[in-house]
Amino acid sequence: MIYLLSFSLCLFSFNCFALAKFNHFKDVFKKRPTELQHKQLLALAWISILLSLAICVETQSGYGALLFCGFMSLSVLIITIFYNLLTRLVKVFSVLNAVLITVSGLFLALN
Amino acid sequence: MKDSFFRSMTWLHTWVGLLTCWIIYTIFFAGTASFFRDEINLWNQPAIHNVQAQTDRVAAQRLQIIKGFDYLNQHAANSPSWRITLPEERIPYLVYGYAKPKEPEQRRSQFVNTQLNPNTMQALPPFVETKGGNFFYRLHYQLYYLDAITGRWVVCFASFFMLLAIISGVVIHKRIFKDMFSFRRNKGVRSWLDAHNLSSVLALPFHLMITYTGIITLIFMLFPYPALTTYDNGIRGFFNDVSPSNNVTNKALGSAAMLPINTILDQVYTKWPDADIRSVRVSEPNMAASTVTVLVDPGKALRDQTPRLLFSGATGELVAQSDDELTNSKALYESLNAMHTGRFATPLLRWLYVLGGIAGCVMIATGCIMWAKRIRERSKGKASFGLQLVEGLNLATIMGLPLATCSFFIANRLLSPTLSGRDDKEVTAFFLAWLVAGVIALIKRDKLQWRIMAAINALACLSVPLVNALTTNGNIVSYLMHKQWALFIFDALFLLFSILFLVQTEKLRTAENAQRKTKSKPVVKPVRSKL
Repeated sequence: MIYLLSFSLCLFSFNCFALAKFNHFKDVFKKRPTELQHKQLLALAWISILLSLAICVETQSGYGALLFCGFMSLSVLIITIFYNLLTRLVKVFSVLNAVLITVSGLFLALN
Repeated sequence: MKDSFFRSMTWLHTWVGLLTCWIIYTIFFAGTASFFRDEINLWNQPAIHNVQAQTDRVAAQRLQIIKGFDYLNQHAANSPSWRITLPEERIPYLVYGYAKPKEPEQRRSQFVNTQLNPNTMQALPPFVETKGGNFFYRLHYQLYYLDAITGRWVVCFASFFMLLAIISGVVIHKRIFKDMFSFRRNKGVRSWLDAHNLSSVLALPFHLMITYTGIITLIFMLFPYPALTTYDNGIRGFFNDVSPSNNVTNKALGSAAMLPINTILDQVYTKWPDADIRSVRVSEPNMAASTVTVLVDPGKALRDQTPRLLFSGATGELVAQSDDELTNSKALYESLNAMHTGRFATPLLRWLYVLGGIAGCVMIATGCIMWAKRIRERSKGKASFGLQLVEGLNLATIMGLPLATCSFFIANRLLSPTLSGRDDKEVTAFFLAWLVAGVIALIKRDKLQWRIMAAINALACLSVPLVNALTTNGNIVSYLMHKQWALFIFDALFLLFSILFLVQTEKLRTAENAQRKTKSKPVVKPVRSKL
């Protein structure tokens, strides 16, 4: 479950990075993001990527940083596929991503 | 040098990339396969397909070692050395081995191994001769049909070039981070550039890490001078100094009965109560000078060398041990090595390494294809010898390596188990198939040849699980039913690659038809008005 949490945080982060780009935001929401939205998305992206890194290093010690690099690669690949081939599913995907973070976070908090 | 920094970097990126891209592709390809070295070994040995992983693996180790000592005492009391290799998560069987006395011309002793099912402690059917995953591992760092040292030097230089190409690539592809998630389809060379950028950037930390640490793994060959000037016996002296357990020579004379191994194991478990023992090695058994080395799993620690304890076999006294706390320089070297090999990585991390390796292969392949396409566009149909050579090598390497790999596995199943030198014949099958791809590329390198190679690869990939099903007792369905995940994933991956090559064949056919239509369309000259 800890893997799921750190990976979904990493995925969420790159999703936010992608949405913070004007062209991708426009592809998904059919309008340009405001300056405030752009900044908020970037802040969210940085917070979640740092959280993901912290969880990986804290729980996996030596191999944590490597695991984090792997999660980044996988996240970029998934995000690229969604934003280029499955654009209409990005909203659903983003919701699922948020659900995954919540469920895995809650599971770890309660156990 | 070019007139600006950017142009110099572009020149550097192009040429260091182009000069070594095929060899780097081979190194990346073999390295990626090597992450599954144990799984390939498993698939290549049908005798161990049905050995179930032990549920109480660590708890059973003490008894397995004691039984191993009894067995070896009975069968090889006078052997120069014994080796007990315990089952691991990815290697399900137990091995009791002893060395035959060395012949005068032999560099290393030949081992006689007895493989056992750890659940029943019964001997397994005889193993077939195969290089398995070790072939890809050796191909990765010292190539093949070359002297080992020469091969390693070639790999080192190629790695240097790769490192330069990555760094200069980050400089010249200015928009890689801006266009990070962009891929424009069906846009000719632009699409190839996007694929090149995307595969580079998505695993950029991995590419940098694996290339840099790859050079570090061979650093003492590349840069031996500090050791050569400090130690009388050079690198050997240096290694003996940093690893005291390498250098223990027990000078006691005469024979002496081995101390019960339980006494030594008690000491091991006192030091490491949860020790997961990898292997036990005994030199000079039943002699006063005998030593017993116990190697344990390092767990999550980022180190390449397994922690070990070394005892006197006759007295049970602890003679030497690996460092519990590594010095900073040792820790750095060990961790960089461990990062490269990923030897103790979890299955998830191993898959992520493979993803990085595949991204590396795609990065190199798209880079060299893109170069050839650009030059062909510029040359307007007149292909120079250089361009033809690059196109030929592209086709032979990119499409030839998957074919060669399939041939290696098909040969493993089709060659007679009793054939002598069987393992070398598997390797010959690998290189012969690669040669066939080279010959096809030599004849012509158009879309048609790419399509033919894609179709052959699709067929070859499909053949691997099929031939396996026909020649062994298992198949992809039975592996799934019996939860033999390593074997199931192996076969499933080949089926997936077969589908991907089929898709490629179809895409190339469509592109070829479109090209033919464009060529056959009559050029309509504009009619000049006479008015």
